[in-house]
Amino acid sequence: MNPSQRRGLLGSALLSLLVLLIVGAYYLWGETWQARVLYATFVNLLVVIGLQVFTGNANLTNFSHAAFMGIAAYAAAICVTPVAMKAISLPDAPWGLNAFELGPWTSALVALGITGGLGLLTGVFVARLTGVGVTIVSIAILVIVHSIFLHRTDIFKGNQALFGIPKVLDLPQITALVIIAIFAARWFRESRFGLQLRACADDEIGARAMGVNVFRTRLIAWVLGTLFFAVAGIAYAFFLGTISARPFYFNFVFLTVAMLILGGLRSVSGAVFGTLLISIGLETIRWLETGPQIAGLKLPQMLGLSGLMLGVVIVAVMALLPSGLMGNLEIEDLLRRRKRAETPEPR
Amino acid sequence: MLEISNLRVTHGPIEAVHGIDISVPAGTCVALLGANGAGKTSTLSAITGTAKSTGTIRLEGEDISALPVEARVKRGIALSPEGRRVFYNLSVRENLVMGAAIRKDKAAIAEEVDHWFTRFPILGERRDQPAGTLSGGEQQMLAIARALMSRPRILLLDEPSLGLAPQIVERIFEMIRELRSQGVTILLVEQNATAAIGLSDHVYVLNNGLVSSQGRAADYGNGAELMDQITGVHG
Repeated sequence: MNPSQRRGLLGSALLSLLVLLIVGAYYLWGETWQARVLYATFVNLLVVIGLQVFTGNANLTNFSHAAFMGIAAYAAAICVTPVAMKAISLPDAPWGLNAFELGPWTSALVALGITGGLGLLTGVFVARLTGVGVTIVSIAILVIVHSIFLHRTDIFKGNQALFGIPKVLDLPQITALVIIAIFAARWFRESRFGLQLRACADDEIGARAMGVNVFRTRLIAWVLGTLFFAVAGIAYAFFLGTISARPFYFNFVFLTVAMLILGGLRSVSGAVFGTLLISIGLETIRWLETGPQIAGLKLPQMLGLSGLMLGVVIVAVMALLPSGLMGNLEIEDLLRRRKRAETPEPR
Repeated sequence: MLEISNLRVTHGPIEAVHGIDISVPAGTCVALLGANGAGKTSTLSAITGTAKSTGTIRLEGEDISALPVEARVKRGIALSPEGRRVFYNLSVRENLVMGAAIRKDKAAIAEEVDHWFTRFPILGERRDQPAGTLSGGEQQMLAIARALMSRPRILLLDEPSLGLAPQIVERIFEMIRELRSQGVTILLVEQNATAAIGLSDHVYVLNNGLVSSQGRAADYGNGAELMDQITGVHG
């Protein structure tokens, strides 16, 4: 383990503590409906941490994450839903998709395998590209997958809901997944591959001149990222009980990218802070949208405010803090800075 | 050590180097001098494999001209690029580790990183800072130290003095002199002919993509005449 990885463990532990504090606060003071909000936030957190792995380290914008998340969600849902239920929800499914059912763990593994395989297939193309090429191809992947979801209604039900998925996961399990994701993403960032990927982001030719295999490094990060999205998709399907094509599209893509940009895409701590801040902010705005009464003052209904605010936040952050709240810093750097400020360096 | 014959380097449709021969014997420092656009950096790019070229490049007798970049680094070619291209967002320590990207011996890498921190305490103090926050001279030191992290057989230095204050240049050349006395084989590309001749064994002068003159460094005196030729400034 190198010094950065040792520090990474400390940083991951601190971020995990933050996540545990939030969950603890919910169990102590929260209301039942907030469990759903918290679960959704943690699904987003899994996605944004996954985005950090490729987009953050390689500094290449990826918009296809919602597609991979959807693929995993559908794959897991189709495997895990009982045959009796599929007779109603997927009566016309081809290839005997409605004639078998698997346990939740097996279903999750199948979903991970399918998504990882598609990640590898697309990665072979994506990893050869640079800059805007990656972004365009990722958008193409998103659009292709979405139209398959919409038009193969015999398998995916299109805009209708695929229902009857048993509820497998709850708050404790997704909390564990989030913590594993934080450690994994941070470990990757500080690993040999993570370092090489960040070096390519600064100076691709320079990194190549040092003997870095840019293609292999990008491919590894891309596939690893899709696995994070797969876990998020599975967790989504295993909690909600119904899924449809609509959530796995542009709205969700922009929301999660905004979270990453706000926090600062170069650090895992940035991904976590960005997600938590925007989630809390959006919940507050949604409450404001309904026109609540604050200190005797009745606010008007302001529907659509959340979308507007999201745009404002992105513009403001890009203008004022181009590298996000955290920039290059991780959570443990903040603590060390404070310590250093207290004990002036000897001259 | 390094033998180049009939090297032609092209950038798309443009040929920048029109067939040159250069020889760098082991343990020596060879200077490649010339004005802007003479083809110096193109020559280095061809040696590292980042530019298209024809002709042969031999490293210790082996023809490496068809090998990809990584394979050449593995065989012992390291470049400290022009304009101190350090990785701005990586810390000083991470930059040095990147220099050893082709090596797998983690313990030895960590030891060598520490060695550079003792050798250049200023880099040691800033080991956790992004390299982009270093001064120009510090970045140049880092770029050279990083190139040496791959344990090269030959070190290619591309204009290490470019854009640095005279005092800093003196320190960088001091560093190169030390490397040379330790037996590191160096191919030094420079516009600052006077300084480069002072620490080289052999000199090649490039002009419009051709070698216009070559000889022992001692034959060029203090390089004043050459400096006139290269820069067009008559002092």
